[in-house]
Amino acid sequence: MKNDMLQAYKQAPWRTQIQWVGVFLLIVVAVATVAGLYLYISGRSAATGRRIQNLESELAILHRQNNDLETLLGEIQSENALSERMNSMNMRSLTPEEALYLEVPGYVPAEGPSFAPPPTILEERTPILLPEFTSTFFEWISSKLQAGPQNSTPTNEVQP
Amino acid sequence: MSENIKTRFLMICVICTAVACIVGIQMIRIQNTEAAQRLLDASESYQGVTRIVYPDRGNIYDSKGRLLAGNETSYEIGLDLNSISQPETVASIASSVLGLDYAKVLGYATMTPGNGNPIYQVLDDFVSQDKIIELETIKDDYDNREAKGKEILPNIDGLIWTAHSQRTYPEGTLASNILGFYSYLDRTGGIGYFGLEEAYDSQLSGTPQEVYIVFDPQRLSTVEEVPPGVTLVLTLDREIQAMTEKALDEAIEWSGAENGTIIVYDPEDGSVISMATAPRLDPNNYWDYADLFPNPTPFNAAISKTYEPGSVFKVLTMAAALDSGLVDPETRFQDTGAFNIGGATIYNWNMGAWGDVDMTECLQYSLNVCMSWLSTEMGPDTFYSYLKNFGLDRKTGIDLGGESSWPLKLPGDSLWYEVDLATNSFGQGISLTPIQMVMAIGSVANDGRMMAPHLVKSMVIDGKQYNVDPVVVGTPIKTETARTLTKMLVNSLENEASNALVEGYSVAGKTGTGEIATPYGYSSTETNASFVGWGPSEDPKFLVYVWLEKPSISIWGSEVAAPVFSDLVSKLVVLMDIPPDSVRLAGSYSTAEK
Repeated sequence: MKNDMLQAYKQAPWRTQIQWVGVFLLIVVAVATVAGLYLYISGRSAATGRRIQNLESELAILHRQNNDLETLLGEIQSENALSERMNSMNMRSLTPEEALYLEVPGYVPAEGPSFAPPPTILEERTPILLPEFTSTFFEWISSKLQAGPQNSTPTNEVQP
Repeated sequence: MSENIKTRFLMICVICTAVACIVGIQMIRIQNTEAAQRLLDASESYQGVTRIVYPDRGNIYDSKGRLLAGNETSYEIGLDLNSISQPETVASIASSVLGLDYAKVLGYATMTPGNGNPIYQVLDDFVSQDKIIELETIKDDYDNREAKGKEILPNIDGLIWTAHSQRTYPEGTLASNILGFYSYLDRTGGIGYFGLEEAYDSQLSGTPQEVYIVFDPQRLSTVEEVPPGVTLVLTLDREIQAMTEKALDEAIEWSGAENGTIIVYDPEDGSVISMATAPRLDPNNYWDYADLFPNPTPFNAAISKTYEPGSVFKVLTMAAALDSGLVDPETRFQDTGAFNIGGATIYNWNMGAWGDVDMTECLQYSLNVCMSWLSTEMGPDTFYSYLKNFGLDRKTGIDLGGESSWPLKLPGDSLWYEVDLATNSFGQGISLTPIQMVMAIGSVANDGRMMAPHLVKSMVIDGKQYNVDPVVVGTPIKTETARTLTKMLVNSLENEASNALVEGYSVAGKTGTGEIATPYGYSSTETNASFVGWGPSEDPKFLVYVWLEKPSISIWGSEVAAPVFSDLVSKLVVLMDIPPDSVRLAGSYSTAEK
């Protein structure tokens, strides 16, 4: 069998050349694949980086616009502006004699403006998935080894 | 292979190795030269830039959430000298739109960058949005033109504008004595002056952070967000502040006073609802400060200017006398019209003798002789102990920059004389700021509990709103004493048919006329006219302190300051939704809606 193969290769040396070409092409394809993947990843990374930069810039612009609008609103609703509007509409402040007071059961006056939620105490929540479902096999083994031997609980006892 | 060939191969190997070693050594040497290090350092500037990011200064709102101090966008205009192709056009546009000097801009625009010249030249700063819109319109117009033949189109390339934040106060002068101002023209070293801007400067400005921004898109990542400065929500009510300022301005004009102060305070929790002084600065134009406040005019007289308060102080003397058990409201006093102490004689305001009077009448007729008798009977230890408990020997600690106080003269001090025990009892020979008086007398209105005056109601820090709890400074008098004294002061105003009375509302109060010390003794023609009052008397929601300096139409607090109090309170009750006694005390009334 071995002799047959050697004879076949001696009679047709292009077989060896094809083998070399095949190996070379395989290497070229592998290198091209790696290069293509690298190019794709780096391109994606660069594009994402640029997008982040643009979003940050947009965020800064929006933040400034927000400030500008708040200031504009403050100017429009300023005491001076409202007084002028009041005067131009022939309105005036209420006098104590003109005020009519009504009892409104259950009415609770507003506490004041709220610009953010109040501080809260951070509570540690029980994870929905147990560690058995999230940890790897090695993590599970190491945790078991660290925990050491545990007393087994009776399984025949009915838990309430 | 012959020996000769072997030797030749060996020689070639040695030479090649030697050359390789030399090349390697040279490479290492070149990389460690100073020039290489400079090149390396220079290359870093192409990789990214380190910038200090200044957070937006925190906003300030009134108690109803109306903006008092905020930020808006303004622009820096500059020249990128590498990008300028038409210096004349740039100079012409900068001159016509921004009002800059044409020749000066042209001079900058024709500079060659490098060789000692900058590559960027600032032309103007704090330019408004309107001007930028105008520039953008011109730029768009130039960019959209199409050249005909060999026509050269105009452009303003190289003229660039960069946005940044600018402190702004939409209410102008309103409450400026409380807000203070921020020196926003100094973009990197600006600080807050006076008021809240000074007291909360570090919190409002936040923490600037150094951020490295890379140019390589592959290394780009989110820049760490710089949290804004702390936002303040005040106890101050803008409508009441505006009304108080208007009332003060009218009072100054009407009375011919040189100056004045009005404070509206909630004795229950120490909140300052409004605080008006004159003059007032527009913090948007803070550079007018030196013109408006020539030395020694204080920025906020309510916390910085001490004066001899006069008879309003009698509230504290009577509080001490009642609380120490020396007298009760029915205690009688024979007023002979003169009281001798320490070689001096104390007289009443009209130099008269009022005969047999009780303690309410002592307050009602504002008898100096009676008060001198009370302080002397108490003795210096008890009397001054009460004054210290009222916090008159120190600053109130109000959360505003620029508070000052005058040392309280005490027995044993070189400047204290026996007669001071008498004169102090009716508010002479003792210097206090209006806010000290407000805090001390506030304890009488608040069942004996003295609350720290404050302006900040809550703060927004890192997206969470924290409420500031009121602080009890002390309990200088008992609850019973405070209630008794309040009733006495209500009765004294009603018996006197005072100008301070407010129709439909029961108020307690006391007038004050303080003589002003001059280098030649006390002036009898120039006074400090004051009034302190609170209401509704059985459940005080406000305490109002009025002080007018040197009024010209009358020297008496009862004729000048008391009517101002009455007028102001009649407006205040409407703004604070406080129904008249007839409605409020009628039955189950608890909360009202107009």
